[in-house]
Amino acid sequence: MAQIETQGILQDIETLVSDQLQVVSYKWLSRNYLVSSNDAKRLLQEFVENHGNGLEVVYALSGQLKSNPLSYNVRLVSGPQLAEAKEEFDGNCSIGVYSVQPCIPKDPATIWNAEFVQAEELHMQAPTVENCLRDNRFCGILNSFVMRNVEGTPMSTAAPQLKTKLAAGTSKTNLDHQDIAIPKQQQNKGEQTSPKAGLQAPNVIKDVKSESNGIGVAHQPNKAPADKEKVAPLPTNKKKIQSDKSSSASGGSLANLWGRASVKSKSNLTAENNNLIPNHAGASAEAQICAGEAVPGVSSDDDDQDVNFKRASNSEITRKRRVVFDFSDEDECEDAVNLASPEYPKGKSCQELKESSNTLVPYKTNLNFDEQVEDKPEVKEEISVEGESNQPCREDSTVVSKVTNAGIILTAKTDSSVPEKDANKMDKLANAAKTQRDAGIILTEKTHSSVPDKDANKMDKPANVAKKQSCVTEKDVNKLDKPTNATSRSPQRRKVLKTRIDERGREVTEVIWEGKETESKKADSSTTLKADSCTTEKADKAVTSATNRPPAAQKSVANSAPKNQTAKAGGKKGVNKDPKQGNILSFFKKV
Amino acid sequence: MLELRLVQGSLLKKVLESIKDLVTDANFDCSATGFSLQAMDSSHVALVALLLRSEGFEHYRCDRSISMGMNLGNMSKMLKCAGNDDIITIKADDGSDTVTFMFESPTQDKISDFEMKLMDIDSEHLGIPEAEYHAIVRMPSAEFARICKDLSGIGDTVVISVTKEGVKFSTRGDIGTANIVCRQNTTVDKPEEATIIEMNEPVSLTFALRYMNSFTKASPLSNTVTISLSSELPVVVEYKIAEMGYIRFYLAPKIEEDEDETKPQV
Repeated sequence: MAQIETQGILQDIETLVSDQLQVVSYKWLSRNYLVSSNDAKRLLQEFVENHGNGLEVVYALSGQLKSNPLSYNVRLVSGPQLAEAKEEFDGNCSIGVYSVQPCIPKDPATIWNAEFVQAEELHMQAPTVENCLRDNRFCGILNSFVMRNVEGTPMSTAAPQLKTKLAAGTSKTNLDHQDIAIPKQQQNKGEQTSPKAGLQAPNVIKDVKSESNGIGVAHQPNKAPADKEKVAPLPTNKKKIQSDKSSSASGGSLANLWGRASVKSKSNLTAENNNLIPNHAGASAEAQICAGEAVPGVSSDDDDQDVNFKRASNSEITRKRRVVFDFSDEDECEDAVNLASPEYPKGKSCQELKESSNTLVPYKTNLNFDEQVEDKPEVKEEISVEGESNQPCREDSTVVSKVTNAGIILTAKTDSSVPEKDANKMDKLANAAKTQRDAGIILTEKTHSSVPDKDANKMDKPANVAKKQSCVTEKDVNKLDKPTNATSRSPQRRKVLKTRIDERGREVTEVIWEGKETESKKADSSTTLKADSCTTEKADKAVTSATNRPPAAQKSVANSAPKNQTAKAGGKKGVNKDPKQGNILSFFKKV
Repeated sequence: MLELRLVQGSLLKKVLESIKDLVTDANFDCSATGFSLQAMDSSHVALVALLLRSEGFEHYRCDRSISMGMNLGNMSKMLKCAGNDDIITIKADDGSDTVTFMFESPTQDKISDFEMKLMDIDSEHLGIPEAEYHAIVRMPSAEFARICKDLSGIGDTVVISVTKEGVKFSTRGDIGTANIVCRQNTTVDKPEEATIIEMNEPVSLTFALRYMNSFTKASPLSNTVTISLSSELPVVVEYKIAEMGYIRFYLAPKIEEDEDETKPQV
């Protein structure tokens, strides 16, 4: 060892002991400055000889005890007790400086602290990193046959084991000397070292750095600090990384959830759009072409739907009940449509739909005109007769009512669904438009299917077809009205999305959702269709405008009706219906 | 022959305003002891009991007990024609199917007569037993009204819980929950502003806020309201009418089976 190095190390030791008040043991010294343990002991010895004053020295005595010659004994003894302790050993015992420190610590564990922290840091290093502890290069016992394999796990594991053995040995030796103290020490080691480790580690590192830099020590010392620097940061970094990982993992899970939701909606929408569009488009076109006068059937459907809607509106009050009702049964196709519907971008969709649907639309518009015109008078009649808000404008009103109902439902749901909406919005508008078309088409198909059943008796099959068409037209009308509703749709979608959408979102099982969603979907589809029809039906403006007005009025009516119902429910009668509400008569008897 | 002269005519106006929304038709029972009313709301959930003792009237003549069925809405319309400072006299002849309200302005320079047709009402008079209530809360009526009004914006029902800590009004709705705790507070300048809680044992009951809000329309009648709670019994919300009597509202509690479903089922 070069003299310069020795000098530097000695100065470091002095600084550590006198300024940092650190316990400098030969093990720590050896590892920290990458010198062999014997050199470290020698250094310490030299240091003690030079700076012995004002320091407390702990010596390690090893040998056979007189009292117990059979066992080899290692004992740590403070300077003043050295002579006395020597006497206890049988014959020659090796005496080495174990550590130097500013004072004899009250807690013996303090002696191990520095080196424990050091050892911990070394152990915390990446398994591939070779350090003095792993290869045990400073061990006093050398075996040339032992291969130092950095990457090999056995080496790394072996090193720590050795260390632990050493520690155990020391503790045992201590036991002899300090019977009572030992257990405490061990315990303390476990307990104290860990907390202290964090505190001391940085200090040590800093010290080393400053020393190395300022003093201009030899190469080894510099290396050591460098190593140490690496070492010290590593563990902390590792911990941080781990924590980050954990946090990121957790965060990732959340992100995944959210991401999934958005992804689902998007993917579903797109998938749905893609899937649905081709099928329905054809159907819708056919349906439109087949336009006829199916008004009565439509109206009947509407009535049924209205009833359902009312329920839904009532049910809306309590979120739980949303999932109600009959519509779902009507058309499975609607479900599929519904899936698509969630994406509908609301107002925007209409124009897009127009473009996309232009080919389809013209037919629809024409048909719609005829049908609508014819239907309206009928509607009026119905209105006068029935006096129900929903039925009166049969197409419009029914549609409206549907829409309103859907809208109401949607509003209830909207709060939760908002984020999804955004995500949906973000999704391709074109897709949404497509989906809207599809939805509209689907609706028409649905209406067809539903209508025929109801009206089958009344109407001939062609008539049924016509009905179907009328339904479609209604849908278109509804579409015009619905744009506002479209916004409301999103909430319903939400539920739909959750269940329906696969994580990948590509595969939406169309039939999955039933109940309210279907209703909402219908409304959505109708609204989208309306939008399409509106754009395409510019020629029909007069008709559309006429239809539009009634729907608005009807909407208001429909809205008011459900609201009133809800209010009533809240009201006296509603209270009566409330099974939980007690009756005053159950408490007071009639006189 | 019935003739009741009430100097503080506004009192009757307030009474009518407080109950006309809860009860549409009711029988006013006049006896030698006083002028009373007991009626249930149409859903038989709430019951209102009014008593105006004869001592409170400047002139009280009731030859024999009589029950007059009145539409409270119509009666309210007529009483609205009386000024707040007017003296109101209720007159009815035996066997007559009408009742006459006479309003005299304080200066006696304006006298109005309103004759209102009576109606036959099949009313079920309920015997209300005297009961020991687990908890009795007396608090400023305006405060109670405010609480009910606030909570009704959030939920449909209010849970009134009386503990040693105070009385807690809590509700839950779609938008969230609300809890209002009123502690006993007797260190106030005016006694009517005090909140006094007499509790024999803790009690917690759920009521429909709609009715509570209806009850609070009687707040103008009294600065304080007394809420008497007992499990297994309807809550009593009582407004004392100064020196005359009271108006009490009984409200059957809601059965708390499932806390999740606080909302009325359709």
